[in-house]
Amino acid sequence: MSARLEIADLRVAYGRAEAVAVDRLVVEPGTLSGIIGANGAGKSTLINAVANWSRAEPRVAGSVRLDGEELTGLSAEARVARGVQLVPEGRGVFLGLSVEENLTAVASAGSGRRAWSVADVYALFPRLRERRANLAGSLSGGERQMLAVGRALRMAPKLLLLDEPSIGLAPLLVSTLLSTIRDLVDDGLTVLLVEQNVHAAAEVTDVLHLIERGRLVAGGPVAVMRDDPRIVEAYLGANHG
Amino acid sequence: MNVAQQLVNGIVIGHAYALVAVGWTLLLGAARLVNFGHGQMYMIGAFVAWWVMAATGLPYWLAVVAAVLLGAALGAVMQRLFLRLTLSQDLVNLMIVTLGFGQALEGAAGLAFGPKPQTLASPFQEMSVHLGPVWFTVQDAILVGATILVFALLYLALHRSWLGAAVRMVAEDPRLTALGGFKVSRIYMGIFAFEGAAVAFAAALVAPRTPILTSMGFDQVVMTFVVVVLGGIGSVLGSYVAGLGIGLFTALFGALVSPAYTTAAVFALLIAAMVLRPGQLAASGSFAR
Amino acid sequence: MTHPLARLAFAGVLAVLGFLLPRLLGGSSLVYDTLVAIAIFSAMSYGLDVILSDLGEISLVHTAFFATGAYAAAILTVTYGFSAWTALAGAVLAALALALVLGVITLRTREFAFSLVTYAAAVVCMNVASNWDFLGGSDGIVGIPPLDLSIGGIELTAGRSAEFWPFAYLLLLLTLYVVHRFRRSRLGQAALMVHMNPRLATMCGLDGNRIRLQVFLLSAVISAAAGWLYAFQRAYVGTDLFDTYFLVLMLTGVILAGRRILLGPLLGTALLLSQKSFASLGAYGDKLVLGVVLVGVLCLCPKGLASLWPRRRAAAVTDAPANTNPANTNKARFPSPVWERGQG
Repeated sequence: MSARLEIADLRVAYGRAEAVAVDRLVVEPGTLSGIIGANGAGKSTLINAVANWSRAEPRVAGSVRLDGEELTGLSAEARVARGVQLVPEGRGVFLGLSVEENLTAVASAGSGRRAWSVADVYALFPRLRERRANLAGSLSGGERQMLAVGRALRMAPKLLLLDEPSIGLAPLLVSTLLSTIRDLVDDGLTVLLVEQNVHAAAEVTDVLHLIERGRLVAGGPVAVMRDDPRIVEAYLGANHG
Repeated sequence: MNVAQQLVNGIVIGHAYALVAVGWTLLLGAARLVNFGHGQMYMIGAFVAWWVMAATGLPYWLAVVAAVLLGAALGAVMQRLFLRLTLSQDLVNLMIVTLGFGQALEGAAGLAFGPKPQTLASPFQEMSVHLGPVWFTVQDAILVGATILVFALLYLALHRSWLGAAVRMVAEDPRLTALGGFKVSRIYMGIFAFEGAAVAFAAALVAPRTPILTSMGFDQVVMTFVVVVLGGIGSVLGSYVAGLGIGLFTALFGALVSPAYTTAAVFALLIAAMVLRPGQLAASGSFAR
Repeated sequence: MTHPLARLAFAGVLAVLGFLLPRLLGGSSLVYDTLVAIAIFSAMSYGLDVILSDLGEISLVHTAFFATGAYAAAILTVTYGFSAWTALAGAVLAALALALVLGVITLRTREFAFSLVTYAAAVVCMNVASNWDFLGGSDGIVGIPPLDLSIGGIELTAGRSAEFWPFAYLLLLLTLYVVHRFRRSRLGQAALMVHMNPRLATMCGLDGNRIRLQVFLLSAVISAAAGWLYAFQRAYVGTDLFDTYFLVLMLTGVILAGRRILLGPLLGTALLLSQKSFASLGAYGDKLVLGVVLVGVLCLCPKGLASLWPRRRAAAVTDAPANTNPANTNKARFPSPVWERGQG
């Protein structure tokens, strides 16, 4: 059986500057993988390239496979239809639409996949049900992230790409959100998570990858990676253990 | 002076302004595109309706349908041409390109329809209704009714339908819209086609009031710019209210002060509004409301 | 060509060749007419060029500045019998006054709001010109005397196009020099910075509004001077000066070759007017050509024809200030949409 996501020889460049050069990255179905690294290391660029989505205009080359199917050359919306769903950093919802509209105004999921209903999303995030008629612009940062994740689930992702969901959230919210995502993975979802908060990521992920200057420099089961000296020194520091 | 009659005139002119502006309002709100070719698209709509009637002898209402269809096609052509600039939100180049598009339309219309003024003859222009001290033509009544209908339908479509939500999504963040599984270019196609169809519809209804010329583009729709801006850029209801307000203003100003300076007065009003309330021009905030 | 003296010599040779161009092309009156028109209209376009290329905004009121210069020349010479020199001073002052008022009004508006206000201003100007008898109303002003710029004993007059050429050419050279100096001046650098990165400009202590106003004033003077000469060449001014055709001509001239290329507007205008003179398709056909050229250039190569020529492209890129973040090159060049601005 092929991996859920398989990246090979991926190169992403802005103008002449190469931002990401990843030779190989594999995500197995039903796992939660994390990509960690410093600011500007290329984490976001990497997962945006998987979705073929960006706010800038990067040049992307290389191979991205979903369940063995080659995605290269497909637009972002075509990848969404095949089950690659990105929740981008910062702005993942439409502030001018109500909460409920954010959940209903999505393209229908591809055949053979079970999409979450709006009620399912409300059951997962009861807070959103209370605010269903409000504009997304009036939500707090944490609520917006819930809404962004809920919106993504509505499109029945096979692979959910989360770009820094914890950014700007209070510590308690971070752990709540990440443990909700862990629960989703335990129910069978596959997630690739980009996180700057290495502590929080190490709590919930199965596999961690460390990216530095656009290259994957280490990767493996989280139990092993926790003790990797590069991670301990740079990210976990004295707090570890 | 018959004030009641001036009010009626103002209401009719106001609805004409609003109807001419409606497509552009959506285009500006959703694609942030200032269409300086809007006037020439109006002219094309009027001439197509005229040509259909003159060349084929079809009745007026079929000419209206033909104009609307051709207008939508013209909008679609615009989308094909401008898509790259629209997607990259290259607003400065977009504005210039619409000026060029209008210029090309005017040249083409001159070649096709000649320099002579023509009359788009609507049978309803000859029928008038007298109500006490005031009167208006049946064409006027149709114009007012159609305007209210178009605005109501657009408002409902934007707020109560899935398609409307898609348009509002594109207006807010076209890139994010793609992550909802939407083909953004197709939504733009709908918006541009609506602009073309709406302005052609407006032309077919408004043009019977005056002779039509291929050079009339800019002059005929100068008020549209004021309506769209004063209404709050991209605001549907705002455009309606602004159109009505400016219609009343021009009718009363023309009757009470000076008909020659009406346009200047309206534009002075616009400039004053911009100086006093520059925040009103903060685009996209009020879209679709 | 890096040595300043070599550059100067090259520019000098080019200038002399340019002056002799009508004779090299046969010296017929059609050639003179065309070249005079090219000189005047490209000078007019440079007014718009500094707004479009250096401030990054589209002003739609430049036809009004052009018309202001022409009307001032007509009124001062015909109605009051002043000399052409006084008329020039009047044209410049009138344009400055109009630009000051408009500049203050539009200071806080950007991108399409700026364009709409300037458009509105142009409509008001045209409306006033066609209704106010002082400005000749819809008939315009006829009977502008031949150009007479004699100083002391030196006789400098011009009636026909061949006599007019030296004056038009001199105006063009002067305009080129002013624009060239402007781009290298502190004001020009500051304008570019305000355009490319307003926030950084503010942090550097630049007053964006003041800089915009100054550039606006400069551009108005350039277009008005062209209008002043045009009034003498045509011996008549009227409301057709406000025609969109002139506006589109200016815009196309500026963007056709490419922005921030000194000779760009001249080459663009020359191409367009040559087509009109030597390969005209009639008034409607020419309009169609103009529109199609404008749409074609912007849709196919938005950076202008010069960008198709690799060497010039490199030059154009180094001309602009270095942008350190490659991801932002696109965004920095043009004002970013509102929804992106909030995030920074």
